[in-house]
Amino acid sequence: MSKTNGKIRIGFYICHCGTNIAGTVDVQKVVDYAATLPNVVVSKHYKYMCSDPGQEMIQKDIKEQELNRVVVAACSPFLHERTFRNATSQAGLNQFYFQMVNTREQNAWVHLDPEASTEKAMDLVRSAIKRVVFHKPLEQKTVPIKPDVLVVGGGIAGIHASLTLANAGKKVYLVERDPTIGGHMAMFDKTFPTLDCAACILTPKMSAVKNHPNITMWTYSEVESVEGYVGNFKVKVKRKPRYIIDDLCVGCLDCIEACVYKEPRFYDEFNQGLSKRKPVYMPFPQATPQLVVIDPDTCIWFKTGKCKQTCVESCERKAVDLNQQPAYKEIEVGTIIVATGFKPFDAGKVYYYGYGTYPNVYTALEVERLINASGPTSGEVIMRDGSTPKSIAIVHCVGSRDKNTNLWCSRVCCLYSLKLAHLLKEHTHADIYNFYIDIRTPGKLMDEFYTRMAEEGVKFIRGRVADIYPDTSDEEHRRLVVKAEDTLIREIIKVPVDMVVLSTGLVPRDDANDVRRLFNITCSTEGFFIERHPKLAPVNTFTDGIFLAGCCQGPKDIPDTVAQAGAAAAEALALIDLGYIELEPNTAFIVEEECSGCKSCVPLCPYSAISYNEEKRKANINEALCKGCGTCVASCPSGSIKQNLFEDEEIYSEIDGILNYEIYEEAVCC
Amino acid sequence: MLLDKLTEQTGSKQWQPKIVAFFCNWCTYTAADLAGVSRIKHAPNIRVIRVMCSGRVDPQFILDAFSKGADGVLIGGCHPGDCHYQEGNYKCLRRFQMLKRVISSLGIESERLRLEWISASEGDKVRVVVNDMVAKIKQLGPLGLPVKYKEWAKEMHVLDSEIAGKEEVYA
Amino acid sequence: MIVELDAIRGVSLDTIYDSPEGKLIQTCIQCGTCSGTCPYGEYMEYPPRRIIKLLQHGLVDKVFDTDSMLKCVNCYACMMKCPREIHLTEVLLQLVKEQTVIKLPVVPPELQKALENNYRYGNPMGESGRKRANWVQTSSVPIRILSQNPEPVDVLWFVESYPAFHPRGQDTCRAIAKILNALGVDFAILGNEEKSAGECGLLSWESGLAEALVDYNMAIFSKYKFNRIITSDPHALDAFNFRYRMYGFKGSITHIVPFIIENIDKLKPMLHKTLGYSVTYHDSCCLGRHNGYYDEPRALLKAIPGIKLIEMVHNRINTLCCGGGGGGMWLDTYFKSQNMERLSDRRIKEAIDTGADVLAVACPYEIPRFEDALKVAGYDKKMVVRDIMELVSEAMED
Repeated sequence: MSKTNGKIRIGFYICHCGTNIAGTVDVQKVVDYAATLPNVVVSKHYKYMCSDPGQEMIQKDIKEQELNRVVVAACSPFLHERTFRNATSQAGLNQFYFQMVNTREQNAWVHLDPEASTEKAMDLVRSAIKRVVFHKPLEQKTVPIKPDVLVVGGGIAGIHASLTLANAGKKVYLVERDPTIGGHMAMFDKTFPTLDCAACILTPKMSAVKNHPNITMWTYSEVESVEGYVGNFKVKVKRKPRYIIDDLCVGCLDCIEACVYKEPRFYDEFNQGLSKRKPVYMPFPQATPQLVVIDPDTCIWFKTGKCKQTCVESCERKAVDLNQQPAYKEIEVGTIIVATGFKPFDAGKVYYYGYGTYPNVYTALEVERLINASGPTSGEVIMRDGSTPKSIAIVHCVGSRDKNTNLWCSRVCCLYSLKLAHLLKEHTHADIYNFYIDIRTPGKLMDEFYTRMAEEGVKFIRGRVADIYPDTSDEEHRRLVVKAEDTLIREIIKVPVDMVVLSTGLVPRDDANDVRRLFNITCSTEGFFIERHPKLAPVNTFTDGIFLAGCCQGPKDIPDTVAQAGAAAAEALALIDLGYIELEPNTAFIVEEECSGCKSCVPLCPYSAISYNEEKRKANINEALCKGCGTCVASCPSGSIKQNLFEDEEIYSEIDGILNYEIYEEAVCC
Repeated sequence: MLLDKLTEQTGSKQWQPKIVAFFCNWCTYTAADLAGVSRIKHAPNIRVIRVMCSGRVDPQFILDAFSKGADGVLIGGCHPGDCHYQEGNYKCLRRFQMLKRVISSLGIESERLRLEWISASEGDKVRVVVNDMVAKIKQLGPLGLPVKYKEWAKEMHVLDSEIAGKEEVYA
Repeated sequence: MIVELDAIRGVSLDTIYDSPEGKLIQTCIQCGTCSGTCPYGEYMEYPPRRIIKLLQHGLVDKVFDTDSMLKCVNCYACMMKCPREIHLTEVLLQLVKEQTVIKLPVVPPELQKALENNYRYGNPMGESGRKRANWVQTSSVPIRILSQNPEPVDVLWFVESYPAFHPRGQDTCRAIAKILNALGVDFAILGNEEKSAGECGLLSWESGLAEALVDYNMAIFSKYKFNRIITSDPHALDAFNFRYRMYGFKGSITHIVPFIIENIDKLKPMLHKTLGYSVTYHDSCCLGRHNGYYDEPRALLKAIPGIKLIEMVHNRINTLCCGGGGGGMWLDTYFKSQNMERLSDRRIKEAIDTGADVLAVACPYEIPRFEDALKVAGYDKKMVVRDIMELVSEAMED
């Protein structure tokens, strides 16, 4: 004979979480209190409810005590709701007969007064115990997942993620904003700490992307809109006109030769402006795809409408099309990897370092190009004034660790500064001074690299550079004085150098906020995208099916970027290979007999899930379209729309519980 | 008994306001979690009810909370343009503005009802908002609607019986 | 960036760790930017970075045995470049400086005298307070003095001591009077009733002298009705904006340069004389670095027909102090005795390097300091020092 006899039987459990909760909340008091509440038949506390013994305890009680409701006060439901729902269902109870109380993140961790904390816990426990009575057995819905993946951003992160997925047999759309893939890594000379050449390790991957049958690569393109949800995203991609017909161009560069501008005279993005390009150009020799592009901002035809169009004439294959219009592609994908990268900090913002004022002050990225064999000076370190430096100061932490600019440590600058010190020394035999606050070289072989640089005779001065100004004792005022306190010898030093390299930090892209909105993901106030959990879900976002890789999530080096890209690909694969996803059954439905047919809900739904049945004169909700926001529920004048998991009774009982509003009747089980 | 308890709470110096909060799942609830992970301390007076979207917050929930003894009600949603469900927060804003007028005509001070946009990354804003709201409500003192209802009910009862008495006389 | 006054009101070195400022100080990463940018950092036994470390370790008393902080000229360079936004110049260094002055066996006589003069006469030069408004008689336009005509006025012009007494300061005053008059501004001065604002840097923290001057000037202000205060002295601007507010001052205070910029459209048609000078502008520490007025003085100079503006090597946030702040005005002899280079001499070299005809300034301390430095450099025939207001006034001539 069943003990339940149609009665509600609630098991209540509170987790100590070591001392995370129990250190602030008096768990014994909460347990004693919960035991006095109606319908509660079991009330217990345990050190770690999420551990196996904790879960087994619940399951045992469900079976032995014939519990039909379970309430656990522990961490945030974002962390372990799924764990406890599983435990509940494995014991044979519908998983939605479970309710969680957030006692750690929103209580023990944010309050100091144990008494107030305990009282708050008791209020919320009471609230959950009242609420759970109204819970209903629900079925989790599943929907199939579209197997194709969208990767946004063609830097090393996007490249690696695309190849991983494509090699697993998945169809990948890789969308890159620039005319070529490769990102920042393509601009680097060598990579720390192994000093292998960036192009040598990157370009094979770039061509692999280009040639992979499973990858559709759209460069010079941007994602316009994203609709839908995990498993079923509808994405619109804008292919900007490059004024070159892809299929016809063979990359012969004749058009560049033929351009009416005889000399290159426009800012060359790839070489950071250290060289010039024409309006029609190939971004760099290994650009992928090998397609030229015409920049309408500098092309005289687009600016004045007058030009002999020698480029058009020069192309035998008739690949130049100055009337090209943007093209739009619509694709359906199941998962998305966002790998939109970073931008280097604008060195001009630290005004007193003289970037933009003194020609021999360079950013690190400029130096990468300057020492690159295929760079503007063919790898010879020739400065803007034509000279070669005999002494060089490398200024660390430019724009990083500074409340006036950015608070964060950009993580890679110490190491790339060491790398540049080595390369500059190799190229110029100059004396090199690293001005640093702290040298940070964590990671495999990194500190060994630091030691090696010290052995090579690179000088290290512990002090943040305070001022850079021309040396007046130098006739031509070319030499610069770098002033800082050497904090270790406690002296103010003024080091005259020929060249200054500013190790600029990594900052989010300017349009991070637009991208965030586009994909409905979150972004910190600085502008880096936020992962679902900093430790346990580092590539997931709060939006299911959308993953992060690379520096758009925060500054990181190439190895970590590649690792993260692989992880993002694996997360996408896990979803795709499962083939379906489970949806929270928090959709809304209409109680037809109560619907008055007033239609006020119909226009409220952003997903057009609500229609009006003229025949029945009732509203109808298409469950497949409903995303479960509950806006219609709140608006229904007759209260005839209900939302699963968030029914009015459930929320009212939560309010009652919180406020201890007593006319508590023991509910009868349905 | 409830009446006594409330009077006693109100009378003591240690009176602490109780604020019922409705936080949307995607932004503000996550921000409150972030405040926790970042150990950003704030006043322990709020009790959060999680909803999927601030658009789910039925004005009746708010009135219900006030009538059952809440000293304040806080609604937290995503910033305009950032709603996980596109525009639920605008719906919430419209209802909120309407409700603001209703509650002030009921004699409930407008500071007791607050709508804040707090994104998932704004853990510290949770602290700022909660502390500020608690401080303001502490200045206002308890709302104590259940107590007032009891008193009003008593008055009505007396009135009723008086009327009843008179009717008897007239009868 | 400017400190929240409530957070530091009444703070002392003993209690600083209990204030929000103390939390900031604890976040110091010892990067040395403060010491490196300090114009006298190399002459200090304990430059700011070391003071912070000693404070963190409870050993700050050591600093008082040296004259390190006497060498701080309140130039705000350390504070504005500090990556932790520690309010060095506004808070910490003031407190240390006060203790330093108290514990010094002998206060440098020049400084001692200036302090005494301020106390006795209300100005650091020791001039008679009854002569403060004498310059008015030499003005080409009428100037209302409130004690003679206490009717409400729109703008109260706080003249301050250097402009009122120093002959070159008086030149600036006459120029300002002319410009205000031409713009139709309803203005008045306090005349002999005015006393030195008690420049925040010199008269540090809760020193009795500062308080006496604050009380005095606040009482005078309360006698009259006016809408806002203007001043040509950036040090007075700082005093009112910062220290006076701590004592309850609620008025609106503007420096003359941004004030004129508010009226630039009206002023421009009046600037009909082409000056044809090449000008280099010296950013005053208080006006520029501390209050962020970098563009306004330049905009005003550029409004003058024929002026060519050339920048010195150190400009804007990176400006080099003239050495007059924080009591430096009265420490030249002392600094010389310590074999320290005078900062005005250092700065004038940069001005000379520009090849400009005019060194434009917007602070009354700078005119005598730079004129003297020009003489020392033997360059006074080739370059003149002019207040921006003098240049504007000259451009208004027919």
